[in-house]
Amino acid sequence: MPPKVSLKKLARKGGLFDGVKSNIHALAIGVKYLVDPQRSTLLYPKEYIEHRPGYRGFIVFVKEKCISCAACSRICPSAAMKMVRVTEIDPKHPDKPRQKQYPVINYQRCIFCGFCVDVCPTEALYHVPFHDIVYENLADMFMTLEQFQVEPQRPAVSEGLPVVYEVDEGKGLVKRRRG
Amino acid sequence: MVLDLILYIIAYPPLWQVLILGFAGSLAIAMVAIWFERKAAARVQRRIGPYWASPALGGFLNIIADMVRYVLQQLIIPGTVDRLVFYFAPIAAFTISILPVIFIPLSPKPEFWPVATMDYSLLIALALSTLPPLLVIAAGWSSNNKFAVIGSMRESYVITAYELVAVVSILSASASLLTFNLVYIVEAQQPFKWLAILNPIAFLAAILAVLMSTSAFPFEIPESEHEVVAGPFTEYSGALYAFNMGGAYVRRFVYALLIALVFLGGWAPYVPGPGPITGYIIPSLIVVFKAVIVVLFISFLRAVYGRYRLDQALGAAWRLAIPLAIIGFGWSLFLAYIGVFH
Ligand code: SF4
Ligand code: SF4
Repeated sequence: MPPKVSLKKLARKGGLFDGVKSNIHALAIGVKYLVDPQRSTLLYPKEYIEHRPGYRGFIVFVKEKCISCAACSRICPSAAMKMVRVTEIDPKHPDKPRQKQYPVINYQRCIFCGFCVDVCPTEALYHVPFHDIVYENLADMFMTLEQFQVEPQRPAVSEGLPVVYEVDEGKGLVKRRRG
Repeated sequence: MVLDLILYIIAYPPLWQVLILGFAGSLAIAMVAIWFERKAAARVQRRIGPYWASPALGGFLNIIADMVRYVLQQLIIPGTVDRLVFYFAPIAAFTISILPVIFIPLSPKPEFWPVATMDYSLLIALALSTLPPLLVIAAGWSSNNKFAVIGSMRESYVITAYELVAVVSILSASASLLTFNLVYIVEAQQPFKWLAILNPIAFLAAILAVLMSTSAFPFEIPESEHEVVAGPFTEYSGALYAFNMGGAYVRRFVYALLIALVFLGGWAPYVPGPGPITGYIIPSLIVVFKAVIVVLFISFLRAVYGRYRLDQALGAAWRLAIPLAIIGFGWSLFLAYIGVFH
């Protein structure tokens, strides 16, 4: 047998007085913020967020430490990191060129998850603490082995001031200028 | 002869009232209101609002750029609309929104404001300012678009709810002052016998009616973006859309002028003297100042309130606003009975 449908009547909360009171309260809060706004907007080119260490931003490769184990390219969940084969001179046997594999990255695919940095056994990869860089075309987002070893420059640094966001007990998220 | 006639027509004050106060003035005030609306909402919501267009002016040029964009935008007319009504409705709505300005005196001197000293100015201004919503409904209906039709339906529901409130609450002034002449209404409130103080209930009902009629928050139901795109104006673009949007702001300004005269004492406590400066410019600036404060208050509500559902708004209108208006009317009769103004 299907259950009986019954309409449940909810009592109206509050009366006229409560309605008036809460409307006035809402207006008072609005006026309070209108007079004393607590903005948290980042004025981006004039300010930039200074991230804490450990922020997963762009990735830089240190060729000297790499042992060509390919762990980074295998763990990459979005197939952004690929190994390339290069011919180079072995320091121990300068007369014999050798083949070696090194990772390169495609920032079109990278999701900045940081797995590659975590998995690298020799710490040959590291993050820089930002990823607000713009490329003019998609082809620029493929790093060559040489580009991958250069630490990128953050354009906002030259134009703006660093700020940090902090949680304040009373005000919530607040923006503080540094320096 | 002919030259004299042309000069007479050009120099005819009501023409200038429509052009300068009605068109240019309400355009400027609409711009200030839009800017304030965005800026106030941003401040309350911890944002900055318009900024980069002119940081020194608080982003005011952003609004002007917006206007230029509307005017220059391509005007797309869908093939399935009812063309005549589609063109005609927004333009007529905008024009009729401005027209009440002729009947709203900003100065008691007949030499500066001849039409407004007529005896039924309040009635005519009120009647004209309740007309444009019908054209908004026509605009939505002619668009042949489901969102536009739903928006028009909502507008028609809201009209039936607030019309009575607007008329009864504003006419309560006539009930206690026994006149429809706005000049007499203002003069009777000199210096501080303002109806907003003596009859706050009718004042509140009038503000509610203005909120509903110009679809300001919390009654922005016909144009509610999240539900019906842009309501009756969904198919409009470019200048016609600007007419639609501007019409609502002009109507808000005209209602604010009416409220400033009827409830906030018009140019009281100032007593207009002879001559154009003391007889015309100063009183009209006082009235416009009061009206702008009303407009800015209405704009500020966007930051505080959310949007009511249609049934909540209609409930508020029928259960709260209409009784308020009727109580206000009764209170006006009581004021007349005890003879506050005589
Ligand atoms: S950060 Fe993640 S997505 Fe980017 S290259 Fe490394 S593993 Fe791949
Ligand atoms: S995981 Fe590290 S050591 Fe291994 S190939 Fe990648 S960068 Fe080189």
